[in-house]
Amino acid sequence: MKNNVSRWLFLAFMLTGAAALSGCWDIKDINHRSLPIVMGVKETAGTYQVLLLIPDASPSQTNVKIISQTGSTINEILDQIDKNMENKVDLLHLKVILFERSVAEKGLSQSIESFMRSRDISNKTLTAISEGALEPLFEKLKSSSSNGGMEIYDFFEKNAGWSPEVVQTRIWEVFRSMNSFTRDVVIPTIKPGHTTTIESTGAAMIKNGKMVGVIDSEETLLYNLFKGAGTQGKIEVMHRATVKIVADRLTRSSVMREGSAMMIGRLHLKVTVLETVGDPTVAEIKKEIDEQLSTRLQAMLRTAQSKEADILGLGQLYRDKLSRENLRQWRSKYYPFMKIEFKVHVIVQDGGLLKIKS
Amino acid sequence: MDKSRQTIVMFWIVHVGLIFFLYPADIIGSLSVGHWSAVLLGFIIHVSLVALYTKGLSYCAPLNVIDLFQRVGRLFAFAMLLPLAVYFVLIIIITVRAYAEIVTVIFLGNTPLWTIMLLFLAVSVFICQLGVESIFRTGILIALLFFPFLILVLILSFQNADWHYLLPLMDRDAATFAYALRRPFLKSLFAFIGGFLFLGFIPSRVSYQSRKIVYASLGLLPFFLASVYIPLLTFGENTASKFPFPFIMAVDTVDVSWLMFDRVTMFFMISLLCFVILFLSLVMWMTLLLLKRGMPALKAPTAGLLLAAAIYIVCLLVPNWNAVERLMWWNTVPRLYAAFVIPLAVFALGLRHRRRETVRP
Repeated sequence: MKNNVSRWLFLAFMLTGAAALSGCWDIKDINHRSLPIVMGVKETAGTYQVLLLIPDASPSQTNVKIISQTGSTINEILDQIDKNMENKVDLLHLKVILFERSVAEKGLSQSIESFMRSRDISNKTLTAISEGALEPLFEKLKSSSSNGGMEIYDFFEKNAGWSPEVVQTRIWEVFRSMNSFTRDVVIPTIKPGHTTTIESTGAAMIKNGKMVGVIDSEETLLYNLFKGAGTQGKIEVMHRATVKIVADRLTRSSVMREGSAMMIGRLHLKVTVLETVGDPTVAEIKKEIDEQLSTRLQAMLRTAQSKEADILGLGQLYRDKLSRENLRQWRSKYYPFMKIEFKVHVIVQDGGLLKIKS
Repeated sequence: MDKSRQTIVMFWIVHVGLIFFLYPADIIGSLSVGHWSAVLLGFIIHVSLVALYTKGLSYCAPLNVIDLFQRVGRLFAFAMLLPLAVYFVLIIIITVRAYAEIVTVIFLGNTPLWTIMLLFLAVSVFICQLGVESIFRTGILIALLFFPFLILVLILSFQNADWHYLLPLMDRDAATFAYALRRPFLKSLFAFIGGFLFLGFIPSRVSYQSRKIVYASLGLLPFFLASVYIPLLTFGENTASKFPFPFIMAVDTVDVSWLMFDRVTMFFMISLLCFVILFLSLVMWMTLLLLKRGMPALKAPTAGLLLAAAIYIVCLLVPNWNAVERLMWWNTVPRLYAAFVIPLAVFALGLRHRRRETVRP
């Protein structure tokens, strides 16, 4: 009998313990939190300024508000904003971090590292660089918002408004490139559009966390192709014809010849013809695609090589061909002199609903 | 009755729960190229110890480790089992403290540590009071519930893998096993050793076939490799070595638009925490078995509560992560003892036992 009572007491004790520890410690309800979607970072004369785009939901409509604050570090600013706001700022659902171009040119390492260290910012947060000042862009995002400020997120999201000329670069990828010998990244650049909310202008080359140059939208497409991000559905305009890419595959092989790096790349494209100017044959279309894409790739590579920024991650292919000490010098010793032989192999799948000359 | 299946499931749960948090960081910290060599070395040690241990146990079939040692002499048993008890208590302390820290780092940022540690200990004491059969039954249930998620997350986490990071496969360091005596590698052995000793403690009514256990332990190799290689393939060695929990960081990068949850890490964490709680209750059950044999005055519920209270107080005294790491390092000697001396002794005694049985019909 006594044993039974003590067992019940024990069970009751365990249950109260479990009820008290449901994991909801110091919980703040959703209506007492502000969940910023976009964070903008700019720097003027050594002080940072942070802008937050926060959806402000009321029962009837969804508005957006912009909050900004200056300070010497990003975390200090966030703390200041939190202090002055009636709600708790929760960065858990932050989707995009926007840097002003001048910040990117000075170097992002410090900020990226603190974002990676932070427990509440997800390491999948997208990054972007604003071509001009941040304020006009934020105003544009605010004024054209009908969806609680989600426009910029949808712009980058693969299942929404993403297109192959836009790069998706996440915080962890930038962080990885900062610590890598053989890999740099590009971060998409945007500006407020004339008729649309956002206009994509290409991408910025980031070397060791510092912006060193830009590539345009067409080159960004090639970057995505190298990264395997998919270019399906992309429409390619040439002099004689307009084609739509329906499938793509890239094969690469790398060799070291007399101490210099050499790469052979083959791009296999399947296209369908949308429009022709004059009456080109299939062979002419194939040749034109090959020439156009190859020259574009060589041009992009030359720009990147002159900045020693290995944005295509070509050094990755030489991991087993160079020793670790040599890989350390990949960017300065091998990459600027590397040659790439690039050919595009095209299969014209069909000519749409009209016949074309073979 | 043959309960091999339950034993195998428990064996997997215990190991999988230990693999994914601290182990990858230790392996990545112990060498810079050819991590598979370190994983395989640890794994071979693991499998051979498991084989030796279960073989020795099968020679003296109905006896468990404590009985086996006590046949030789009370003093001998005491001397052999005291370090083992120390080791068990230390791993409970380390596991509770380390996993509480992991939980606060990953998802309960505002919750104080003492509540999480209390929760871990309370649940595991409760399970271990119900006896080993219920631990095993819970194991089956938890495995059915969580293994599908776990496998799904493991497959998804290859999303950002760049296979070039696999290369180079080898360097001098990896080929000569020069890392084998380094601190991180010795610490990494905890994932191989903490788990299998329970095989010698379960009562004879829960019987299993030793051969099946050895085969089942081979099935753990993909988990060990994945835990190290997923972060390496995602981030590269340079970046992965900067994280205290590389695997969690790598799973965090997974972006799946068709899944209704934003962070697959949550699934992963919660399934593993269940495994760890089960591991804790199993180790606690073994410790209590040892304690009760040493001090027969202690009765069942009181002993468990006293042990849990003592462990809780020590856990509260551990101030920071560095102290946890230091504790893990101090635990190396008892760990190596538990890893090598106990299975070898069991094998030797089992052999002797069998020889006597055959001589004296």
